[in-house]
Amino acid sequence: MSTDTDRTSASLLARPLNWLETRSDAAFAYLLLGPAFLLLAVVAFYPLVQTFRFSLRADAILSADPFGEFIGFKHYVDLLTGDALLPQQFLDPSFQTPVLQQALFVTLAFAILSVLFETAIGFGQALILDQDFRGRRWVRVAIIIPYAIPIVIQAMIFYLMFSTRVGFATDFMQSIGVFGSNPLSTTSDAFLIVLVADVWKTSAFMALLILAGLQSIDRQLYDVAKVTGASPWQRFKYITLPLISGPLLVAMLFRTMDAMRIYGLIDATAGCQTVPSMTCLVVTAFNQTRRWASASAVAFLTAVVISVIVLLYLVGLRDSESGMT
Amino acid sequence: MNRYQVSSESVSGVSRRRFVKTAGAAGVALTLAGCGGGGGDDSITLTADQQYKNAEDAVVQALHDAGLSDDIDVTIQAGDFESGNRREQFVSTLDAGRSDPDIFMMDSGWTIPFIVRDQVLNLSEELSQETLDYVNNDYLSAAVQTASHPQSGDLYGLPLFPDYPVMHYRKDLVEEAGYDPEGENWATEPMTWQRFAEIAADVWDQSGVEYGFTTQADSYVGLSCCTFSETMTSWGGSYFGDHENLFGPIGDRPITVNEQPVHDTIRMMRSFMNGPDADNAHPDYPKITNTDILEWTEEDARAPFTNGNAVFHRNWPYAIPVNFEDGAFDDADYSVMPIPYAVEEGEGSYQGTGGSSHALGGWHLTINPNSDRTDDAVQVLESFANESVMNTIFEEVGNPPPVPEVLENANPDNVGPIGNFLDTMAVAARNTVPRPVTAVWPDQSPVVAEEVHNAYLGDKSPSKAMSDLEGRLEELEQSV
Repeated sequence: MSTDTDRTSASLLARPLNWLETRSDAAFAYLLLGPAFLLLAVVAFYPLVQTFRFSLRADAILSADPFGEFIGFKHYVDLLTGDALLPQQFLDPSFQTPVLQQALFVTLAFAILSVLFETAIGFGQALILDQDFRGRRWVRVAIIIPYAIPIVIQAMIFYLMFSTRVGFATDFMQSIGVFGSNPLSTTSDAFLIVLVADVWKTSAFMALLILAGLQSIDRQLYDVAKVTGASPWQRFKYITLPLISGPLLVAMLFRTMDAMRIYGLIDATAGCQTVPSMTCLVVTAFNQTRRWASASAVAFLTAVVISVIVLLYLVGLRDSESGMT
Repeated sequence: MNRYQVSSESVSGVSRRRFVKTAGAAGVALTLAGCGGGGGDDSITLTADQQYKNAEDAVVQALHDAGLSDDIDVTIQAGDFESGNRREQFVSTLDAGRSDPDIFMMDSGWTIPFIVRDQVLNLSEELSQETLDYVNNDYLSAAVQTASHPQSGDLYGLPLFPDYPVMHYRKDLVEEAGYDPEGENWATEPMTWQRFAEIAADVWDQSGVEYGFTTQADSYVGLSCCTFSETMTSWGGSYFGDHENLFGPIGDRPITVNEQPVHDTIRMMRSFMNGPDADNAHPDYPKITNTDILEWTEEDARAPFTNGNAVFHRNWPYAIPVNFEDGAFDDADYSVMPIPYAVEEGEGSYQGTGGSSHALGGWHLTINPNSDRTDDAVQVLESFANESVMNTIFEEVGNPPPVPEVLENANPDNVGPIGNFLDTMAVAARNTVPRPVTAVWPDQSPVVAEEVHNAYLGDKSPSKAMSDLEGRLEELEQSV
């Protein structure tokens, strides 16, 4: 009897496994991707949809349920016209709020400047690391070290450098006329500190990705170019740049997405009140106030802005892959 | 081809069958591992500060000695050290309807929003009449106000201990400079900001220490609730007119920040940092510190004082034992006094303003309405409203009693370094300024901090900053 049961259960297990083995490679691949997509739907898309639904309700700070009646897109209108009742504004078209106190501009300025500097510095580092020279291994380690430092430690390093209690950098920066006496409390100075801190750490990430791209270029192309008399600039322009554009765009895409979500570095250095990024606005509205519907609208707008930028990159990547760049 | 041979066609040596089996088994194991846990014992749980956890045996014994039934066991859990983080935890707990913990220790700065949302138990309907009378008649009334419903007046929290700042100072440096704190009775007779600043400037100059005065002026919750609020009050200014408006009615009370006493408060602070000749500084006050204070909260401001690098320092009483321990001060070279004032009490622009003013902090006990044992939790609170328990907490934890009479009668020998300064503490307790906590205060607090900080920094003139603040506060008032 028990032998029959074992046999039945074994055949029950064997049947789907046999079915599985007869599928095509593509079908099997999709089958394996299924759980991952399901997980993504649960942890990413469902919260995004819920966030959007919450953002259409009123803030209810007097009731146990933080979401009030349906008010449509009012929060979005308020956020985009500078009328939001949050500690900082998302966007104020009248510019009564200083530019670096508007979350959208702070975040865009940070993302554009940081990715620009990180790409330029990372490219330079990668070009150096791509050469054969004595001690190359040590130089690689030195370049990678900042990237290995945890984000809060990195932020604390810069906080302490400019802290009025123990910092040494403020006096120097003040003496050359760059900063005022309270850089961590002054929006423009603090923005610069956060920007430099990010560039210092993350240029290594760009360098590594670009280096991987550089090393995949066939060296014989350079030999041919040399034989035909191409100058170093021409070799860079006609060989390196076109062949590296794909990996470069992917690296820039990753960095841009990270930069658009900047929060931890700001929180641990100058604070969200001084440098209000988009994520700062969401966290502040959620943690310090009970305007959770407004916070949801900011979160959804943040996702929309990032999506638009990712789409721009994807268009660039498609062109790059089809050889149009 | 060998089945384990890796080629461009076969990228894996593992068959589909084995992969699915292994992945399936791992998934089941992880699912099972995620199950289980939870549970708990039958005691009443109270989330409080770490110090209460450290003194758990003594505090629980005191509760039983005060009449709490032996059948009711109390367990103290240490909550997050940072007040804001603890509030977020309580928000999650109450929004989710969780039954644990049974009793919360809530900051008086954010209890009222929970009360108006009806998220904590109404103690007026639960506590005995005797205890309610004791609380209403004998407890520090400003503390009771921050534990009551602004409209109905019902009690929702039992004040556990109040907290009020004092001015800490280096008695040795002051005496070396020729002043006589004891002869002039600095401990109980508040001085004006004018005299304070002159002394601070003189002693700073003579002693050569790094700062004449350290305080908290960062853009944070402590600026709006406390340091700016008390200084403005001592100048006769107010956020919302008469102090009876501090707790509402929201949207139906005047906004009075754009007035002369408030501008003068900012101008005095700018003078303290930048000197009387600076832009928007008050010409009558000398420089006694520098702009470093614009980035300081409590611990940043305390460090230079404890390290011997400051003459005067504004902080909460927790700094007293720290200064004795870490600063190695003793009675001969360290003392405290009430916070100075600019206009006499009662001569301010609004009721409740003027005179020496101390921001009222402190914590309350509230009951989770989702608790499975609210009756037992109420019994625990009944026992907390007992003089012997208050004394035990004062002695074991260091928090002063919420009843002024108990504080004044406390045995100085049993309460550590604070025992040296009970007279000053009593003066501070009689001159407190409650935080203007309403349901909309969490929105208003960062706005106040930001605009005041802008004015301190000099990014805006006092009148421009306060005009902007007036508009933003009004918008928030009308949003509810």
